[in-house]
Amino acid sequence: MEQILLKTENLSKSFSSGGVLQHVLKNIDLELYQGDFTVIMGASGAGKSTLLYALSGMDTPSLGKITFGDKVISDYSQDELAVFRREHCGFVFQQIYLLEGMSVMDNVLAAGLLVNQDKKALLEKARALFDAVGISGETQKKFPAQISGGEAQRAGIVRALINRPEILFADEPTGALNSQTGLDVLDTLTAFHEQGQSVVMVTHDMRSARRGNRILYLKDGVILGECGLGKYRHGDRARHEKLAAFLSEMGW
Amino acid sequence: MNKSILLARMNLRRARGQGAAIVVLMLLAAMMLNLWLILATDYRQNFDRCHDRLNAEHVTLSVDGDSRELRELLTRTMEEDSRTESFLLDDAMHMVGNFEYNGGDVNSWFVFVEKEAALSREVGRAEIVEDGGFDSGIYMPMLYKSENIDVGKTVKVSIGSNEVEYTVCGFYNSVMTGSHNCAMMEMILTEDKYQELKEAGYAVRSTLCSVRLQDKDEGSAYEGMLKNTVSSRYPQANMASNTYELVAQSRYISQMICAGILSAMSFIILLIVLVVTASNIVNYIQENMKSLGALKAVGYTSSQLIRSLLLQFLGLSLTAAGVGAGLSYSLFPGINGMMIAQTGIPYQSHFLPLPFLLTLSVSGAGVGLTVWLSSRRIRKIEPIVALRQGLSTHNFRRNPVPLEGTGAPLQLALALKTTLTGIKHNVTICITMLVLSLVVVFSGLMIRNVIMDMTPFLNMIAGEVADSCINVNRETEEAFLREMNADERVEKIYLYSSEEIRHVGGSGLMATMSEDFSMANNQGVVFEGRFPKYENEIAVAAKYARENNLRPGNEIMVTANGKEAAYIISGFTQITNNLGKDCLLTRAGYERLGEMQTASYYLNLAEGIDIDDFNEEVKERFGNAVNMVINVDSTIQGAASVYISLMAVLVGAVLVLSVVVIAFVLYLLVRTMLTNKKRDYGILKALGYTTGQLILQTALTFMPTITISTAVGVVGCCLIINPLVALFLSSIGIVKCTFSVPVGLIAAEAVCLIFFAFCIACLLSLKIRKIAPRALLIS
Repeated sequence: MEQILLKTENLSKSFSSGGVLQHVLKNIDLELYQGDFTVIMGASGAGKSTLLYALSGMDTPSLGKITFGDKVISDYSQDELAVFRREHCGFVFQQIYLLEGMSVMDNVLAAGLLVNQDKKALLEKARALFDAVGISGETQKKFPAQISGGEAQRAGIVRALINRPEILFADEPTGALNSQTGLDVLDTLTAFHEQGQSVVMVTHDMRSARRGNRILYLKDGVILGECGLGKYRHGDRARHEKLAAFLSEMGW
Repeated sequence: MNKSILLARMNLRRARGQGAAIVVLMLLAAMMLNLWLILATDYRQNFDRCHDRLNAEHVTLSVDGDSRELRELLTRTMEEDSRTESFLLDDAMHMVGNFEYNGGDVNSWFVFVEKEAALSREVGRAEIVEDGGFDSGIYMPMLYKSENIDVGKTVKVSIGSNEVEYTVCGFYNSVMTGSHNCAMMEMILTEDKYQELKEAGYAVRSTLCSVRLQDKDEGSAYEGMLKNTVSSRYPQANMASNTYELVAQSRYISQMICAGILSAMSFIILLIVLVVTASNIVNYIQENMKSLGALKAVGYTSSQLIRSLLLQFLGLSLTAAGVGAGLSYSLFPGINGMMIAQTGIPYQSHFLPLPFLLTLSVSGAGVGLTVWLSSRRIRKIEPIVALRQGLSTHNFRRNPVPLEGTGAPLQLALALKTTLTGIKHNVTICITMLVLSLVVVFSGLMIRNVIMDMTPFLNMIAGEVADSCINVNRETEEAFLREMNADERVEKIYLYSSEEIRHVGGSGLMATMSEDFSMANNQGVVFEGRFPKYENEIAVAAKYARENNLRPGNEIMVTANGKEAAYIISGFTQITNNLGKDCLLTRAGYERLGEMQTASYYLNLAEGIDIDDFNEEVKERFGNAVNMVINVDSTIQGAASVYISLMAVLVGAVLVLSVVVIAFVLYLLVRTMLTNKKRDYGILKALGYTTGQLILQTALTFMPTITISTAVGVVGCCLIINPLVALFLSSIGIVKCTFSVPVGLIAAEAVCLIFFAFCIACLLSLKIRKIAPRALLIS
């Protein structure tokens, strides 16, 4: 029996635009399980990112309920959500969003020190994570503007993982990167997933989606379909074809 | 030009908050600038206008006696002097006296004149400003209209050692004799009361001599000549006199203090406006580097872009300056009300174009120059480079407060990082806090040395302060001293008596004598050299010494009572009485020139002794041998209350202004920071920072600079405040200021200011609540 990490019931999100109410998410019932690499796919405007923000406590739903363990986070205040995010979630953004005025290491520590006051242990952990993603000590001292996009995104992953989050949310993590650095980042995410990290990733890129073991397809604010792919193996052709067939069925 | 106007309008719409803050600061600066200019120009000239309207004299002399010989002597002397324009001799009576006012006593040399004579004089006319229509009583100077002194009420006037009650018929205005600051004060009596007083003989019959001169600056010399002439013929005659220069200055001391503080505050706030404007422009250029590059790329010239900024900031500041100058007229009646308690000369507020134009010009020129200087960087922007590189906000050469190495708590460490990378903000805060530190120190100094206890201020400007002053006849002096020395209520008694002398080749001087100046309460009055100790020594007021190029050790000739003697200058005093024409002599030193006519003794009484009761008892015991008793403490209270209330209002106003200034400067800085770091706040919120943590972090960002610059400013200002006050008051003869600097009070004020700044920064940072991490993600 897989352990449920996050659960939504009738999750809806609406925005008012020019006086017109737009229903971006419509009555979504969803369960996210521990250890899964869940990929949310869909066309532009399908509501992928909105769903990710709602699940991660970055945004509050208009209607419905989101439960994390036995806690109903959809009832949380903004500050409670902030605490929830820092303690249980990690984020990797498409635009990376490292703090420009801080070194790479400081970016990681600024997130880590919020939860863990033991600086020595935190530094050890940060260095281990940097080693794991292939960022050298020299690069750790640099500012975001002084490193490459791939390095920055890998630093972003270290920052996201520094507090050992139960779920790592990634919003189009390769969207701003070139092909090779994108692959490096995906390899990093896959590696952490293989070590047991739960990941929820939004993407519209099939190559990225292949890394997931569970694919959700979103269209017009509802989950149109779901596909289980099993464990990722590099060069697994059958797996790739299954995903392609699923996406084709969804009208991709 | 149209394109520049369009750009300026666009910029204004985009930065409404910053614009509003600059408007408020400029409004305050212009308001004070205009008030200062009104006080320094027209308000001061009002004295001359009133002087001309009443055809007032430039020299007034009230001298014992009304004999034909005396008047012929005076007439002949004045007629033969080419400096005389016109003069008038009148019957009068004079005597030292006092009355209760404002919780204290007003002591002065009263000159009693008959109503019709006073109102119809061709020279030195008085004018009735309020008349209750009573047939019998007294008209008081309008300055003293108060709760207890009002039309129809009874006022007790002590005349010498006698007391008379009069019904207050009304109030009058007189330029040269309408205040205790004039060295003599006219008391206008109805004819019956005048005759009554004459018959009672409480006051000495005298001749009131009012002289208009061709050149008002000759007043002092003319006064000396006139008094010399009289005293050489009538050596025992008592005289009181004043001059245009003395009255004009002494009636406007509060105006000078108020104008000085207003000018300092207006320039301080104007400086802050300019710093904030410069910071805003540099920030605008950095933030809009790409837009400016794009505008240049489509054909805008650097001049057009700079012109648009000039239009934007000049438009804002000139509008604010105009409104501020206009608003100053609504504040002016309040200030006039305070001033009039000292000047005693009515002033009708009206629009003054010159101060208004000067206010606009100074504000406009300052802002224009600042905008032009700080926007020159636009000329160096190359369109392609700007478009490609956009904004570069960080210096990659260093990473201040690295989190892995710092021992500071996380929020403080993150705040310090921002502090150490925000040079522009730091400069703005630094300048603001440094100048506000001066206000803090000044206000602390005034609270301690003027408002809470005026003794240090009086010690500095007035010379000597005691509980009681008793003037006795020379014949009774010995018996009086014997009894006082035996009286347990008397802690200390010492001679402190004044007579007029003349510096040969210089001016008339008020000489104060004492047997032994080491007995005096105020040992700080001599700030250079020492008190006169031997009979051939004299200490002169520094103002007079400076004007006459005198140095300690110089020998000067002094004359009085027809005798002449040489004295060596032993030191300088900073007594400002008599416009600084003042000196100290030992009693033996004065007696080289003749005998003192009477002797004034200053007394310190034991704790708990009622000064008035004591004085009354002495009067009763010694009868007519006592010419005058003064409750010095009460007199000081009465005179000081005007300064204390004025200073309290000014200190309150400058402190409130400081609070407003720091609030608006922080508003500008916090708003700019929130705009510039909106992305960072979004990221930090996404990472799990709460709004409270970010608000604290933002407020803490400003605190190191605020705290350090306030501390440095306060310490620096504490060190220079006394010389600064002395410089500020140098025009009235103050050379050295020895106010005690209330370190505790100033530190408390500084801490309050810092705490207030922290609270304001927190409040202004509340806008962080509205920054949502989601907005960051969809941007």
